[in-house]
Amino acid sequence: MGTGRFDWDEIHRKIDAVGVAIDSGYAPTPEERRRILQRRAAQLAHEEEKEAVADTLEVVEFLLAHEHYGIESHHIREVYPLHDYTPLPGVPAFVLGLINVRGRILSVVDLKKFFDLPEKGVSDLNKVIIIGNETMEFGILADAILGVRAIAVSAIGPPLPTLTGIQEEFLHGVTVERLVILDAARILADGKIMVHQDI
Amino acid sequence: MVTRDAEFLERLLAMFKVEAREHLGVISAELTKMEKGVADNPPESIEIMYREVHSLKGAARSVNLADIVSLCQAVESVFSALKNGRMSLSPQASDLLLQTVDFCFRLVDGGKSPATERTVINDLIHRLDGLIPGQEPAASAVADKRVAVDSADPPIAETERVDPRNQTIAPDVAESPDQGVVSGPAASVTETVRISTAALDALLLQAEEMIAVKIATTQRMGELRDLKHRFDSWKKERQRDLSFATPRTRAGSGQISTEYFIPSFGARLTALVRAAEDDHRASASLIDTLLDDMKKTLMLPFSSMFEMFPRLVRDLVRTAGKKAEVTTDGGDIEVDRRILQELKDPLVHLVRNCLDHGIESPAEREKKNKPAHGTIRIEVASHDGKIEITVADDGRGIDIAQIVSAAVKQAKISPEAVAALDDREALQLMFQSGVTTSPLITDLSGRGLGLAIVGEKVEKLNGTVSVHTRRDEGTTFRLVVPLTLATFRGVLVRVAEQLFVLPATNVERVARSRWEEVQTVENRETLVVDGRPIAMVRLGDVLELKVAAARQPVDGPFVQVAVVGAAEKRMAFMVDEILGEQEVLVKPLGRQLPRVRNIMGATVIGNGRVVPLLNVPDLLKTAVKKVPSIIAGSAEAPVQSSSVLVVEDSITARMLMKNIIESAGYEVQAVVDGVEAIAALRSREFDIVVSDVEMPRMDGFDLTARIRSDKKLADLPVVLVTALESREDRERGIDVGASAYIVKSSFDQSNLLEVIGRLV
Repeated sequence: MGTGRFDWDEIHRKIDAVGVAIDSGYAPTPEERRRILQRRAAQLAHEEEKEAVADTLEVVEFLLAHEHYGIESHHIREVYPLHDYTPLPGVPAFVLGLINVRGRILSVVDLKKFFDLPEKGVSDLNKVIIIGNETMEFGILADAILGVRAIAVSAIGPPLPTLTGIQEEFLHGVTVERLVILDAARILADGKIMVHQDI
Repeated sequence: MVTRDAEFLERLLAMFKVEAREHLGVISAELTKMEKGVADNPPESIEIMYREVHSLKGAARSVNLADIVSLCQAVESVFSALKNGRMSLSPQASDLLLQTVDFCFRLVDGGKSPATERTVINDLIHRLDGLIPGQEPAASAVADKRVAVDSADPPIAETERVDPRNQTIAPDVAESPDQGVVSGPAASVTETVRISTAALDALLLQAEEMIAVKIATTQRMGELRDLKHRFDSWKKERQRDLSFATPRTRAGSGQISTEYFIPSFGARLTALVRAAEDDHRASASLIDTLLDDMKKTLMLPFSSMFEMFPRLVRDLVRTAGKKAEVTTDGGDIEVDRRILQELKDPLVHLVRNCLDHGIESPAEREKKNKPAHGTIRIEVASHDGKIEITVADDGRGIDIAQIVSAAVKQAKISPEAVAALDDREALQLMFQSGVTTSPLITDLSGRGLGLAIVGEKVEKLNGTVSVHTRRDEGTTFRLVVPLTLATFRGVLVRVAEQLFVLPATNVERVARSRWEEVQTVENRETLVVDGRPIAMVRLGDVLELKVAAARQPVDGPFVQVAVVGAAEKRMAFMVDEILGEQEVLVKPLGRQLPRVRNIMGATVIGNGRVVPLLNVPDLLKTAVKKVPSIIAGSAEAPVQSSSVLVVEDSITARMLMKNIIESAGYEVQAVVDGVEAIAALRSREFDIVVSDVEMPRMDGFDLTARIRSDKKLADLPVVLVTALESREDRERGIDVGASAYIVKSSFDQSNLLEVIGRLV
């Protein structure tokens, strides 16, 4: 039984060393103290960082037809108030029309129509969230912006298609508070959202 | 450090390529001229080429391109000998020089030369050296230099240190046999800088954006004038009222400050209007000048394009076994670079066409008593802001009958239609794709595409192209294009409540006709404009706008139309109103909408509104496909529709409600808040008000209360549509006198329509 045997000599030596240290009133040298503190600080900082980068998602929460949605802030260029828009003839219904953003013309998409969600009630849709990547850019309609939240990735559950009616491919998932997190990258990259009509 | 140096060298190389091509281009053009004996002043040509090759050598040295340096050195020696009369330019000499120039072009484009080309380079240098009398190919200085270049990897063994700052005037006294001449012309510094075209284009784009500012100031000025006008008429009315008032009210304490306030307010308003007018004038002229000047920086002389033609013709005649030369005139005329770029292909096509179809073989020409050498003349002239380019040959001319039969054979035109054509119209057939008279497809031409491309490109520039031909005397093509790309002008029209812009270039005219003049032919409406019948379509139908069936365009007994044409098609589009022509800045629709049917872009008009720009070729195609439903509309129009006032601050909710109510056959006016609603109610009668509750300025509760307290409006039904669901709110709604209260979250169309139907 090797595990039952102790190296008593070693233990005694350690106890003695500790005794000596206590007797001599041990205090780390300033140099030593600095090193220890630095190491601890680095350890703490490191863990914090890892948590922030890998485990949370920064989302902007907004209201769309009385339901709460979230979209990653990473893809959001800005939020613009919708005062007026110009409808375009002949485009699919999900294209609300054009807006003028400081002299630039931008199209606005009604996600409810794009996702084929049932029309429920009438909503105010007074805001446009402009999302974009290197190749695509457009605005999406929202009733109200509720704020920016950091959501732990672990808190996002698998999408429940029956809950939202949105195809799974456009969703990151649903949080316990029933916040539906949209996958902006997928929406931006989807071919169906681009309007290219040949005549 | 290393990467920075590499980057620097890369930039330097890019600059060198641009510069080298220019130098080589000039040399090539001058050589061709000399070779044909058409150079105005041969000694001067040699001088020019000598200087160019010298500059090129210096530039090549600064970027360590040893091969080009040594080639330039050999060429320079030849020019030097030509210059001081030690030799004359024989055909072999000019051939060899051109060959060397060509080779240099290749080296420049390819960057470094592969090792296999070393032998070519050595051979060229050897042969160039051999041209100079009294200088043995293997002779001293040059040969030594060549050996040094061949063997050494660090290039240019014996030259001065590389310094990019003096690349073009690198001193090389030892090599230059005649240094005096070199330093002379080089000293005359031209006052130009090299700017990348990308940077210039970006500047032009920004300058063009200023048009939007100009349009906005016009709008602001109009609004201020309107404000002043309203204020003045209010003041007049008030004065009239006051003169009837009793002296007691006039002496009221509040009145004094008002009496003081009104004139000072009026004076300030007048001053403001004047200031706005001044600002508008000043900014408009500044912006116009800026744009003009900006466009001038993009102007290039035609000579920059002419350079390539002597070479092109020289190469083409060789392969075709013909004899011809090209002369150019008007090379100093400047034109917008973008236009010049667009013209390059058409001109190349035309020159090829002249050579292939026009100029006869030398034998044939001699039979006709023509000089064996054919001539192609390219002439440029400018007048009235337009550029006229003629490309003429003295060849056999075009056989019109042949063109027509080719067009008939390729089913471009029916044999019956041919009879009606005059010569000019028949010649225009050539510009149709696929029409070719050439029995044989050569690599020069014959595919029938060349002239079609010419026609298309010129049309894109808003230009025209015409042909004139005489049998055995030659053919002349005449292109007329604008001097600069004009700023886009558009005709603003209204259909239902939407605005659209039609490109002014496509609008032949706008007209107002009486309804009686509209006649239905084969179930299609037609109109007579300028004595010619023309098909009429409703723009709203073509665009599939939801126009309430009851609402005919109202201009009393008149129809407003814009006669629109593209290519050969013409059509009259009926609109509700033509608002006028104005400058517009065309913008793309954004990345999500790369191509939208009937819409080619959008523009922002003065009040910041986005207006779609219509695509006329699309519209004409769509209009032809669509069978108009002229009878459907008028039959089911309600006798008298009730009118609804919708009050809602959210644009989307406003539009949604408006659409729902309109589609049920009501006439709808929509406003954004209670204050506007009161104003609307005062101006005309409504049968019912549908209002949101939460709104800026005056909310739905206050609006209802105001309506109930107004004697004239007290009985008007008011429907409140709201997001507020609480019992207190509902009770408050009933307290203020609302006729119905609908909660938004439980809102649905039939619900609202049912309520309206019950109340009206």
